[in-house]
Amino acid sequence: MAADATASPQEQLDAALLAFESALPQVSSETQLYDLQVQFLGKNGAVTKLRSLMGKVPPAQRKELGQAFNRVKQAIDEGLAGRKLALAQAARELDLSRHVDLTFVPDPPRPGTLHPITQTRRELEQVFRRLGFDVVDGPHVEAELYSFDKLNIQPDHPARDMQDTFFIARPEHDPREGAPSLVLRPHTSPVQARTMLRYGAPVRIIAPGTTFRRDDDPTHSPMFHQIEGLYVDRNVTMADLKATLYRFVGAFFGEGLAVRFRPSYFPFVEPGAEFDMQCAFCFDGQVSHGCGLCKQSGWIELGGSGMVHPAVLEQCGIDPTVYTGWAFGFGIDRMAMLRHGISHLRHNFEGDLRVLEQFTSP
Amino acid sequence: MLLSCTWLSELLGRPLDVSPPFRADDPFSAVNIAARLTNLGLEVEGIEYFELPKIIVGRVDEVTPHPDASKLNIVQLFDGARTIQVVCGASNLPPVGGKVAFAPVGAVLPDGLELSERELRGVVSNGMICSETELRIGSDGEGILVLPREWEPGALLQDLVPGIRDAVIEISVTPNRPDALGHLGVARDLALALGCELTLPAVPVPVPDTAKAMPELVTLEAGDRCPRYLGYALEDCSVGASPLWLRVRLHRVGLRARNNVVDVTNLVLFETGQPMHAFDRQRLDGERVVVRTATAGEPITTLDGIKLELSDDDLVIADAKAPQALAGVMGGEGSMVGEGTTRLLLEVAFFEPRAIRRSARRYALRTDSSHRFERQVDFAGQLELAAARAVSLLHQISGARCVAYCDAQAKLPVPAPITLDPDHVGRLLGMDIAADEIARILQGLGVTLDQSNAQAWRCEPPSFRPDLGRNVDLIEEVMRHHGLDELPARHSSSPEELMVLPEDPVRRLADALTDGLRANDLHEHVSLAFTAEDQAMLFASEAEPPRSPDDFQPTQLVRPVNPMRLQQGCMRPHLLPGLLDAVAYNLGRHTRALGLFEVGRVYLWPLTSDQAAEPTGPTAEIDRCLPTEPYRAAAIRAQRASGSAPAGELARAVTRDLSAALARVGLHAQLRAPAQPRTWLHPGVQVGLWIGDRQVGVAGELHPDLLAARDLSEHELGYGELWLEALPPLPTVQFADVARFPGTTRDLSLDLDQRISSAAVLAALTSAAADSGSSTDDPPRLANADEPRRPIELIEDYRGAGVEAGRHALLLRLNYRAGQRSVTDAEVQALHDKVVAGALEQLTRVDPAARVR
Repeated sequence: MAADATASPQEQLDAALLAFESALPQVSSETQLYDLQVQFLGKNGAVTKLRSLMGKVPPAQRKELGQAFNRVKQAIDEGLAGRKLALAQAARELDLSRHVDLTFVPDPPRPGTLHPITQTRRELEQVFRRLGFDVVDGPHVEAELYSFDKLNIQPDHPARDMQDTFFIARPEHDPREGAPSLVLRPHTSPVQARTMLRYGAPVRIIAPGTTFRRDDDPTHSPMFHQIEGLYVDRNVTMADLKATLYRFVGAFFGEGLAVRFRPSYFPFVEPGAEFDMQCAFCFDGQVSHGCGLCKQSGWIELGGSGMVHPAVLEQCGIDPTVYTGWAFGFGIDRMAMLRHGISHLRHNFEGDLRVLEQFTSP
Repeated sequence: MLLSCTWLSELLGRPLDVSPPFRADDPFSAVNIAARLTNLGLEVEGIEYFELPKIIVGRVDEVTPHPDASKLNIVQLFDGARTIQVVCGASNLPPVGGKVAFAPVGAVLPDGLELSERELRGVVSNGMICSETELRIGSDGEGILVLPREWEPGALLQDLVPGIRDAVIEISVTPNRPDALGHLGVARDLALALGCELTLPAVPVPVPDTAKAMPELVTLEAGDRCPRYLGYALEDCSVGASPLWLRVRLHRVGLRARNNVVDVTNLVLFETGQPMHAFDRQRLDGERVVVRTATAGEPITTLDGIKLELSDDDLVIADAKAPQALAGVMGGEGSMVGEGTTRLLLEVAFFEPRAIRRSARRYALRTDSSHRFERQVDFAGQLELAAARAVSLLHQISGARCVAYCDAQAKLPVPAPITLDPDHVGRLLGMDIAADEIARILQGLGVTLDQSNAQAWRCEPPSFRPDLGRNVDLIEEVMRHHGLDELPARHSSSPEELMVLPEDPVRRLADALTDGLRANDLHEHVSLAFTAEDQAMLFASEAEPPRSPDDFQPTQLVRPVNPMRLQQGCMRPHLLPGLLDAVAYNLGRHTRALGLFEVGRVYLWPLTSDQAAEPTGPTAEIDRCLPTEPYRAAAIRAQRASGSAPAGELARAVTRDLSAALARVGLHAQLRAPAQPRTWLHPGVQVGLWIGDRQVGVAGELHPDLLAARDLSEHELGYGELWLEALPPLPTVQFADVARFPGTTRDLSLDLDQRISSAAVLAALTSAAADSGSSTDDPPRLANADEPRRPIELIEDYRGAGVEAGRHALLLRLNYRAGQRSVTDAEVQALHDKVVAGALEQLTRVDPAARVR
């Protein structure tokens, strides 16, 4: 807009204002608004330049012109501010009018998983740690001495048939005459013997770990996992064992489930008993009504237990006239299968992705 | 072991309810007997009910051949009321007047078949004449069951023969209870539990007074292996089929009837638990037996025709010349009782249990006899009872007369009396049990008590309970019979301080790495710890001494002596075969990409030269003789190959998995060439993971040959593993103050031979930076950027236009900052120039053309 040099300063100011006011509604962005501000109020802006007219009017009119100038400038400032606010509001309206469908998102990456046996073992460890047990493990290739003899399972005794055991050959490069006969431990009990030998009494441990037996059928794998508990101290009783198992079952499967014993035989305990828990899978808070998992009996067989045989204590350097103890053991794999409803043992060791990926956990 | 309730009821002196489980409230019903047995520690596996409600005795009145079938006869059968026409194909049909088992129309056979009137080649048959097997009362299916002539036609068969109607309970007997391997022992437990009087098996015809002691009948040479041997000489024996009740009884407990002599010995075996053997005395050289150990290589042919070469550890019953029985296990063919035998030598013995077990195992001959002898039979009262019972039954059933006997004895076991403080029972169990109750139970089980000292009873266990040796054994008996239902769940007070045992650091590390690998979207796999020999050998090396922790020589493989199958011939020395199996399993079943990991032990014998950590403590002597079981943490990723040569994407991913798992436990691995290339990885796609100057793992792409051998060539596989024993102890984090002053960066582009790895470049730059120290107080250094937290970032590894073939361009960004001040451009530029120059000097040694682009 070229200034009309013939017009009076007042007219020129009015024209500038008019020009501003007609341009303002065309402004649709902050940048344009800034450009407009520069165009009128910048160093060479149309209004700014009119300041130079001050010198050309008679002094008597200067005041009036100065006031007019300020009015125009103020009007432009206000116009700009108003437009700026409107623009911001329009932008906000526009932003708020966006609609994004957040029900449509890419599939999350599939989380990695822990094997159900690992999960179950860890949870068992957690519960028993809370009950005051230390966690111990030992070698998988173990001396027959610790696997049997120290546990009151004598050579040539039928009790050895209770588990069909893998024996380990000595290496050719180191035949070592008279070396102890070695086995793949058929139970985690050698850890009990080792712990008693090393630490004496009192002692309270669980020994979870991998075990091996020469069994391979739909319900037995040559490798499986066990957990055993041992508590040796003065005045330890079978009632204490029951209390511990009761608390364990409550913490692991749910409060209020009963535990019962049935007399049985395990060479390393005397008296010995199998222990069952009330079936947690058909339990209504009072009664287990019977389901497929407990074969309609209302009870689930968990494992073996009993008072540590005095011969075992003697063999492991503990005086059975001073100390008594109890021990229990059960299978981790079966526990995992029960908890998760795993239908077949083979799922445990095949490594099928479609099986493994199901076992998400915290 | 199978228990006949009919048999038990005779020993309990009262009837048991053997009908199916409707009478749950009757303590003497089979279901409740079974529940009792389980509570007594004789775990019940199952119950089976038998009955033949409509099978009757039929009299053959007339037999005419079938007009149209040469093998069939038309029989007019009298059922006590009327005569019925039946067609029968048996060849052993008795003559007119003979009695048979008859299933009339409407009767249901045990296999579920309901008989109806039917035509056989035009002749109507109104029922069926049955065999033992059809009635499930015996194993003779050759012909029909012929009954004694004197039986009344029309009588119900099951009313005439005890045991046809029966409930059979299967129990599993634990090895400590040899007494429960006979009905008598089980009945003794039940009698006490049910409050009945135990009725011992009858001996109606005792050994006659005329029988004379005949010491020469038995020569006991190996008295230590056979402390007692009762021999009886019997004459006028008539060998034939046993009476029906005896055959039924044996069938109910799972035995096959042979002949009356053998059947009697088996009956007494299942009654008392005492095995016995009858020899044909006529066929014994010298008509006598010698109890001795075999000479090595001595031959014997057993009853079932197996030829054995004996060991000098075997006990045999020989005649004057040769072994006639493998003692306690099985008789010999040569002196077997059969048709025509008239003179018997009956053996009732007590053998040393362990030796019997060794013999039985040596020849894999597990028999009902060896099963009992190796668990130890009675050497006193019950042995004598069994002998008397057998002699008596043989007389009744086969007519045999006992004319002489010999009771050869050596040193018999002397059961030691046990001292029991009755209060100790309650103290051990944690419940109160009255002394009277304890005494009632122990006496009921045959323990002789002397209670004159109220706090120290003298208890003599019966000789048929070899398992009762200590006071806890007696406490167990009390517990069994008193029951555990009232046992409270009550913690005992612990007067002593429990020590906290040290944690196994490797186990903790294994758990932490498990979590680390799992966090990388990998799935944990657990594979069997066995592998095939050829799979194991893929990883063996001849490097001597070993150059990295996973090196092992073939002789270090750990092998089971008795693997179950060839594919499980040795313990895994490596985790890859198990993971590969799982990968192959998956790739054969679906097309998804997969990532698995496993953290577990491998098994290796130490080399004699190994400087393994010397074991300590009371188990050290054993521990020195054990293989090592180091932990490995391995990851594998697999996917179908895209077609073009793989760019190592999965190998990189696995390398990253391992580095990330280490980072999660606070360890930072550097990547550089492995100390020794792994032969099972692609020679050009493998990397070592290093912490300091120790290699702690390796990763890469599987060798194409290995993939081809596994039929996996269509796939790309990345694998890597960490050796936990090589990892340093987990560091406790030491806090470093946060950088408060900005740093600055310099970019650097290098042109290098492609075999120079970025790791080598990083190492060169880092060492050059370390060497260009300045003397000022707080000089600028190569230092972590804010993001990523690394002093040198690798921006790009470029190959292609503008770079010669065989070379690559590495674009790097170096971060510089000082500790407590802002750096100036000039000082950083000076340092950077020094660093670049120093690094280039190192790099040009291996690649003279190395230059800054």
